[in-house]
Amino acid sequence: MFLRTVLSRLLTTLVTLFGVAVVVFVLVRVAPGNPIAMMLPPGASEDDIAQLTALYGFDKSLVEQFFIWIGGVVQGDFGTSITLRQPVADLVLSRLPATLELSFFALLIAVAIGGVAAVIGARRRGSPTEAAVDLTSGAVLSIPDFLWGLLFVLLFGVLWPVLSISGRLDPRLEFDFLTNFVAIEGLLRGRFDVAGSAFSHMLMPALSLALPLAALIAQLLKQNLKEVLIQDYTTLPRVRGFSETQVILRDAMRNAALPTLTLVGVQFTFLIGGTVIVERLFAYGGLGNMAIDAVINRDLPLIQGIVLLFAALFVAINLLVDLSYTLLNPRLRHG
Amino acid sequence: MTMSSTLNIQNLTVSLRSGLPLLRQVNLTLEPGEVRALVGESGAGKSMIGKAVLGTLPPATRVTRGQIFLRGQALDHLNAAQRRHCVAQSAALIPQDPLTALNPVRRIAPQITDPLTRIHGWSAERAQTRALELLDRVEIRDPARVMRSYPHELSGGMRQRILIAAAFAPSPPLIVADEPTTALDVTVQKQILKLIRELQKEVGTAVLFVTHDMGVVAKISQKVSVLFQGRVMEDSTTEAIFSNPTHPYTRALIAATPSYADPARSFSPVPPELIAQMKSKIAQEEIL
Ligand SMILES: Nc1ncnc2c1ncn2[C@@H]1O[C@H](COP(=O)(O)OP(=O)(O)O)[C@@H](O)[C@H]1O
Ligand SMILES: [Mg+2]
Repeated sequence: MFLRTVLSRLLTTLVTLFGVAVVVFVLVRVAPGNPIAMMLPPGASEDDIAQLTALYGFDKSLVEQFFIWIGGVVQGDFGTSITLRQPVADLVLSRLPATLELSFFALLIAVAIGGVAAVIGARRRGSPTEAAVDLTSGAVLSIPDFLWGLLFVLLFGVLWPVLSISGRLDPRLEFDFLTNFVAIEGLLRGRFDVAGSAFSHMLMPALSLALPLAALIAQLLKQNLKEVLIQDYTTLPRVRGFSETQVILRDAMRNAALPTLTLVGVQFTFLIGGTVIVERLFAYGGLGNMAIDAVINRDLPLIQGIVLLFAALFVAINLLVDLSYTLLNPRLRHG
Repeated sequence: MTMSSTLNIQNLTVSLRSGLPLLRQVNLTLEPGEVRALVGESGAGKSMIGKAVLGTLPPATRVTRGQIFLRGQALDHLNAAQRRHCVAQSAALIPQDPLTALNPVRRIAPQITDPLTRIHGWSAERAQTRALELLDRVEIRDPARVMRSYPHELSGGMRQRILIAAAFAPSPPLIVADEPTTALDVTVQKQILKLIRELQKEVGTAVLFVTHDMGVVAKISQKVSVLFQGRVMEDSTTEAIFSNPTHPYTRALIAATPSYADPARSFSPVPPELIAQMKSKIAQEEIL
C-alpha cells in the first residue's frame, strides 16, 4: 500500500518533469531571437554562422535535438552554456545554494511574522486588534514582491542607506568556502561575521519575498485558529486552567496549522518564482538572476537547465509538504 | 452554611445580550461529597449552570445577576486569571460528548497529565503514576498503551473512561458532569454511571450531575434540582422527589421516564397544556 503510493508518486514526478522538459524545449525554440547571431560580432560571414550552428547542433531537426538533449540530461549532462562556455549542470548547481538560502530565509520570515500576527489576531478575536491585523495583512497582500523590492531599494539603498542592497556578501571578507551555502556555512563554522554579512545582504530581498506570504499566513492561520477555538476539545483545557494564549499555542495551533500547511506549500513555490525578479533587483547572485541573463542572451541550454531545476524544486517542495502533512496528522500516519 | 459548601449559587441570572434570560434567579448548593442532579428537558438551562460555574459561558451570554461561591470564594470578585486559577483548583468537567472532547492531534498522556504538572504543579512522575492508576481504576486494559494512543484509535466508551479518569485525577472538590452518558450506548452507559458513582465516593468529590433522565437521577444523586426554562421548579432530596413530587412538572418528568421493566407503560411525554401553563406563569412573573 505504502510502496504503491511511493511508486505512483515517483512516476507522476517523472512524467511531470518530462512534460516540463518538452514544453521548455519547444518554447525557447519558437521564441524570437537567434542565439548564434547573438554570439557573433556584426558582419560575421555565412560560413562562421553555419559552423557555429553545427557546433551547437542547431542544424539538426527539433526532434533530433530534443532526444540528444534529453539523452544527455538522464546522464547528468545538461549541455554547455553558449555564453559562459561551461557545463550547464555546474553553473546551475553553483547558483542553486544562493536561491535556496534566500527562499528559505524568506519562508522563515513569512512564517514568523504571519504566525505571530495570526496568534495575536486569534487571541483578540472580535476586538479592534483583530481588525488591525485584517487591515494590515490585506494591505500588505495587495503589494507584490517586486514592488516591495523596489520600495526597499528606494528606502534603504537611496534615502537611508543602512543595509547592503546588492550582492550576497561583503567582498572584503576572506573565507574559504567549502560550499556555496555562505550563510549556513558561516553559521556552522562559527564565522559569524560571514554569516552576518550574508544575512544582512539577504534581509531586504527576503523581506520583499516574505511580506505577501506573511500576510497570507496571518489571514489564513488566524481564520483556522478561530475555527479550532470553538471546537469542543478546547473547552477542557480552558476549564483546567490554561490561559487563552496557552490554549491557542498548545491545543489549537497544530490543528489549525494542518489546513494552512497545504496552501503555504503552494505559495512557497510562487515565492521561489518571485526570486527571478527580486534577485535581479538586488543583484543577488542566484539562479533567478542567472535565468534573466540567460534569457537576454538566448542561452538556450542554460535556460532549459534552469527551468528544469526550478521544476524539480517545486516537485520536491510538494513532496515535502505532503510528507509533513502526514507527520503532523496522526490520523494519516498509520493509514 | 455558605462557607462550608463546595458550591453555592445565589440568585444567578444569565441572559443573552438581547436581555432574554436563559437562567432565572437560580439558587443551588452542593455540600462536600454530595451529588446533585440537574434535571429538565433539553434547553432548560442545565448545561448553562455548569458553564456559569466553570467560566465557559458562550460569548453571547453574560451573568446579569447573582453570585457563585466556589468553596466560599465569590467568583465575581476575582479577575479573569484569578478566576481561571480558582476554578481549575476546585473543579473539573466530565463533558457530554467523548468523541469531540479530546484533542485529535495530541496523544492521551499529555491530555491527562498536562493540567497536573502545569496547573497543579505536580512532578512529571507523580502525574504519570496518578494517570496510570486512574486509567486502571476506570477499567482500561493496558493503560500504558492507551496513554500513547491518539483519540481516534479508541472507542467512545474508552474515551469517556479516560475523561472520567482525567477529571478525578487531581481529586477536585467539585466535578461538573454534563450528561456524561448521553452519547454512549445503553450497556456502556450503565458501566460509566457506576464508575462515576464509585470514584465520587472514593475521592469524596461533590458532583453536579446534569441529566434529562429521571432513571439516572434515582441511581446517582442525593439531591435534585428540577429546571424548566432556566428556573428551578423544585429543589429537594432524591427520595422526596420520587416519593412525593410537589410540582406537577416533576411528576410529568417522572412519568416520562422510560421503564425497562414495563415497556408498555413507558414514555408518557410531559403534557403540552402543562408546559403552556408554566410558560405563561413565568412570563407573568417576569412582568411584575
Ligand atoms: N451559545 C449559545 N448562545 C445563545 N443561546 C444559547 C447558547 N447555548 C445555549 N443557548 C440557549 O440557552 C438555553 C439553555 O441551554 P442549555 O443550558 O444548553 O440547555 P440544556 O438544559 O439542554 O443543557 C437554551 O434555550 C439554548 O437555546
Ligand atoms: Mg445540555
